[in-house]
Amino acid sequence: MAPPEIFNLSQQSPITCHAFNADRSQVAVSLNSNEVRIYARQGNDWSHIDTLSEHDKPITSIDWAPNSNRIVTSAQDRNAYVWQQSPDPQTGHMVWKPTLVLLRINRAATFVRWSPNEDKFAVASGARAIAICSFDPEGDWWVSRLLKKPIRSTVLSVDWHPNNVLLAAGSADIKARVFSAYIKDVDKRPSASVWGEKLPFNTICGEYASPSGGWVHSVAFSPSGDVLAFAGHDSSINIVYPGGPAVYSVKLSILPLVTLTWTTEESIVAAGHDCQPLVFAGNQGSWELVGSLDEPQSSKSAGSTRSGLGGPSPVGRLNSAAFNTFRNAAERGISNAPGSPTAASSGESELFTVHQNTITSVRPYSGVPGQIAQVSTSGVDGKLVVWDVNAVTPISAAGLAGKLGKMQVR
Amino acid sequence: MDVNFRKIDIDQYDEDALLDSELYDSDPRDPAHALEDTKQNAAAVRSSLSRNDYVGALTLVLGNAPYGPNVEEAKNLNLQTLVSILNSTKATDIPAIVKALSPDTQDTLMKYLYKGMALPGWGDVSGSVLLGWHEKLTEVAGTGCIVRAMTDRRLV
Repeated sequence: MAPPEIFNLSQQSPITCHAFNADRSQVAVSLNSNEVRIYARQGNDWSHIDTLSEHDKPITSIDWAPNSNRIVTSAQDRNAYVWQQSPDPQTGHMVWKPTLVLLRINRAATFVRWSPNEDKFAVASGARAIAICSFDPEGDWWVSRLLKKPIRSTVLSVDWHPNNVLLAAGSADIKARVFSAYIKDVDKRPSASVWGEKLPFNTICGEYASPSGGWVHSVAFSPSGDVLAFAGHDSSINIVYPGGPAVYSVKLSILPLVTLTWTTEESIVAAGHDCQPLVFAGNQGSWELVGSLDEPQSSKSAGSTRSGLGGPSPVGRLNSAAFNTFRNAAERGISNAPGSPTAASSGESELFTVHQNTITSVRPYSGVPGQIAQVSTSGVDGKLVVWDVNAVTPISAAGLAGKLGKMQVR
Repeated sequence: MDVNFRKIDIDQYDEDALLDSELYDSDPRDPAHALEDTKQNAAAVRSSLSRNDYVGALTLVLGNAPYGPNVEEAKNLNLQTLVSILNSTKATDIPAIVKALSPDTQDTLMKYLYKGMALPGWGDVSGSVLLGWHEKLTEVAGTGCIVRAMTDRRLV
């Protein structure tokens, strides 16, 4: 049970998203700006080696294809670029060159992911559409076809099925959907799966909602592609067995999850506004929260007097230091703003978790699909953390709220 | 400054506007039926309360709560019934009652607490009663319960 590796990539700005290269020696991140920064690992640290600047509005998502070593980026400027390394004619150094993608959307691009075969990528957008992009060798550019129906609002996340054809999407219209993103010139005819047999472009293979609504922040297919998981803003995680048909919904007593990834066919790591990666496990019979990867005692120096998630609080962050700061101000007129030079404040405003703010992205780090050994997270606190997925602290010890309801709908 | 333009319903000029009805399934009962159900619940609650069965009373009121548009009358009646339960419990009993409720019922209770707090002048509801229940409910069901009360479009 190795402790998490913690890297402070940025002191001031949040990390919008992160993507590692194939051998994990480099990572591309966006620090809430219009630039992609590439860091190279040097021992236990990361050094800034390159900046990709072509977007003129903040980057929303980055994905790094492991085999073809191409980076795709999406941004609020409604554009996506595919970046490829080529030698500079003068110096001979390898430099990243962008290729514009014809997205044909009139709102921000919100999320991007390469397909498993790396011959397509999907760009989610605020234009109620998902652009499925494939390379057109004649025009020497990336062209897109839009998945539009029946999306009614901004698409927040997408995930590819291992068959390179099906695509899951989570949207602000409170639905998670499974589409066919079949492109005739690229794909072979997919074999029948639990999601359907005939799969022309824009076939709707499934549409699901959280029990209490809320934006669907994150979607993911299981390693086999036969199960779909999605996290909604109603603090729930939902696991869909389309063959069942059964939807398991685990309601949480804490703040909503915004990102998730499967580690095996029967376990998921998810994280969000509660600042720690949680582990869920289950199968066709039931699903439940089993624990947290964040072990409060080892992640912080012993003997500290911080109140927070690991403390005696029974209700998530409700009794956190921030809460106490406001309560002191309201009840006793003590202003104890974080950062003020009073003795208690600096430590008191620190959370018990490794991440000090919302985790916005969790991705597989090592292992093979279906047997992930480590995951990486990045968040609003500017930290990048690599976690061992087997180092699970049971929920009781992690101090999560007592009642974690579990129920089945349909 | 004239701010009336802010009240113009701009969605009516957008043929592609996203309607509330597309976001959730409305209450399957017709308004008259929902009102009838609520009246029956109110009577059943009175008998539950006379037996001091607060959990049963709350489960009745919250389990089949009317929601969505067109059932305002039933919604108001159900709120009154709920408030009568909240007012008749002793503060020391609240934690045990809240713990005995199912997660769905806890979520619906939270919606009603916020509805009560949103009433102009808080209606005939006592603020300290609502806040007392809110505190105990949050201790049991956590912040997730509050988030669900906020995200759920099925307004009670």
